[in-house]
Amino acid sequence: MYGICDCDNCYVSCERVFRPDLVGKPVVVLSNNDGCVVARSNEAKALGIKEGTPYFKLAEEFPGQKIAVFSSNYELYGELTSRVVSIIRHETPSYFRYSIDECFMYLDGIDENKLQPWGEHLYKRIKREVGMPVSIGIAPNKTLAKIASKLAKKYEAYRHCCMIDDDYKRMKALEWCPIEDVWGIGRRYAAKLQALGCRTALDFAKHHPDWVHLTFNNINIMRTWQELNGEDAVPNEELAKKKSICTSRSFNGMISDYETLRTHIANYATRCAEKLRQQKTVAQIVGVFVNTNAFREDLAQYWNFQEVRLITPTNSTIPIVQAASEVLQKIYIQGYQYKKAGVIVMGISEDSPIQQDLFDTDAETIQKMRRLDEVVDRINRMHGSETVVIGAQQYTQKNGKGKANVFANAIKHDHKSPCYTTRWKDVIKLK
Amino acid sequence: MGNIKIVKGTFETQLALEHAGIKAGFPSPAGDYQHETLDFNRDFIRHPEATFYGDVEGDSMKDAGIFDGDRVIIDKAVEAHHGSIVVAFWNGEFTMKYLDLTHKKDGYIELKPANAAYPTFKVEAGDNFEVWGVVIHMIRTFEKL
Repeated sequence: MYGICDCDNCYVSCERVFRPDLVGKPVVVLSNNDGCVVARSNEAKALGIKEGTPYFKLAEEFPGQKIAVFSSNYELYGELTSRVVSIIRHETPSYFRYSIDECFMYLDGIDENKLQPWGEHLYKRIKREVGMPVSIGIAPNKTLAKIASKLAKKYEAYRHCCMIDDDYKRMKALEWCPIEDVWGIGRRYAAKLQALGCRTALDFAKHHPDWVHLTFNNINIMRTWQELNGEDAVPNEELAKKKSICTSRSFNGMISDYETLRTHIANYATRCAEKLRQQKTVAQIVGVFVNTNAFREDLAQYWNFQEVRLITPTNSTIPIVQAASEVLQKIYIQGYQYKKAGVIVMGISEDSPIQQDLFDTDAETIQKMRRLDEVVDRINRMHGSETVVIGAQQYTQKNGKGKANVFANAIKHDHKSPCYTTRWKDVIKLK
Repeated sequence: MGNIKIVKGTFETQLALEHAGIKAGFPSPAGDYQHETLDFNRDFIRHPEATFYGDVEGDSMKDAGIFDGDRVIIDKAVEAHHGSIVVAFWNGEFTMKYLDLTHKKDGYIELKPANAAYPTFKVEAGDNFEVWGVVIHMIRTFEKL
């Protein structure tokens, strides 16, 4: 069996951990530049606030409403959701973090008769220890688990954990689930399916497989159809290939000077960005590791790994190289002979244009970087890898004047909450 | 090169290197007596995912030895019992007090300060109140780092 654990209104719930007074009240979280609404509490949804509503329109569209507004605080959200994943790690045989607020769980080691109480226990533990409310779905495959988690979120009677483990429950769930809410059915396919009369997941699942094949001729849609019909069809590798990308190398000799090491790191980061663009994904976390030669016991040993969370998930070379260089600056210590270094990008998600627009700090800058990446990729494809490389030094100097720096400093967040879990000066105050 | 394992701790992410290769050279005579060094995170933080921190403002707990400016370590996984020092959310703010369950049967509980100059809060069923976590340690720094 598979499970999914999905944080309820994730960003809003993170804010509420430290603001219990806001439980039961309308709360919204804004995109980076305080541009528009990206997360809403159930109460805010009930008021009719839509995702993407521009911040300046809130007061005019909802006059007289008391709505708590937060700028996005990814430092806080990242830390709290990592705690959620850490609890999942203790409780499951294996798991896969799918996005900032969703985690797939492989439950084959747990007795099926005990899965329902197990799921309820997991909810209670996460709610109590981290303060995060989650919804848990359990089913024979990932697509049905996603639908189950939506049911758990929607109906209190499930006690936050819904399990689809027989055909009757499966049919009821499919009948309830609108086709556009099925995992793996994008907006375009949903529109096509609706036009063909498939309003719910059940309408689609009841079609003959030949019809699905002839209409779409698409492996992913076929897999979704199979999963709705109870098979386990979406390979775990489909998720795993997006888990993280690591580019690393052992050096021929050993390297001790910072400039050389930085050039290597810039190259690895560039390679990671290219891989992200190839698979049409973006990353939120950039990590760098360095280590000395463990077999040379005569030399002083050192290793370190640190990561940095990007404000906007990206696959652009410049911000990823810059982030990697920042991390390197933190972990590099002069005097060691380094043997190996690498860049790991994590927190990978689909590069959806819509999400990009929502989170844009400066749409124009990002558009320019995208175009630059496209041109560089094209030239390198035509004339061979690394025909064009970015002038890493221009962008990675501590006080560089590159675009990426201007980009990082231009962010507006007037309503940002304290970083309660990542900065000592911001911890809660106790009277 | 041994396996590289990324271990995520509460306070930092560190890269642990485990090399399975054969070690050459003279074995250290201390090898048989090696123990891992004492580690505050490992030995004092029982539930890393549930551990949070707070800074004390005011002297309402001074008779418990907790003063203004002290930093406390809060565990949300620990069950609060009668006499626990708890962090509660009460009247729109976080407060740290003794939890007194003497009158639980009578339908109310009390939050008691450790300072005669402060009032005891009486919390009744239905009040907007929550025990947010239990204070398990306190840190006071005597010399600036």
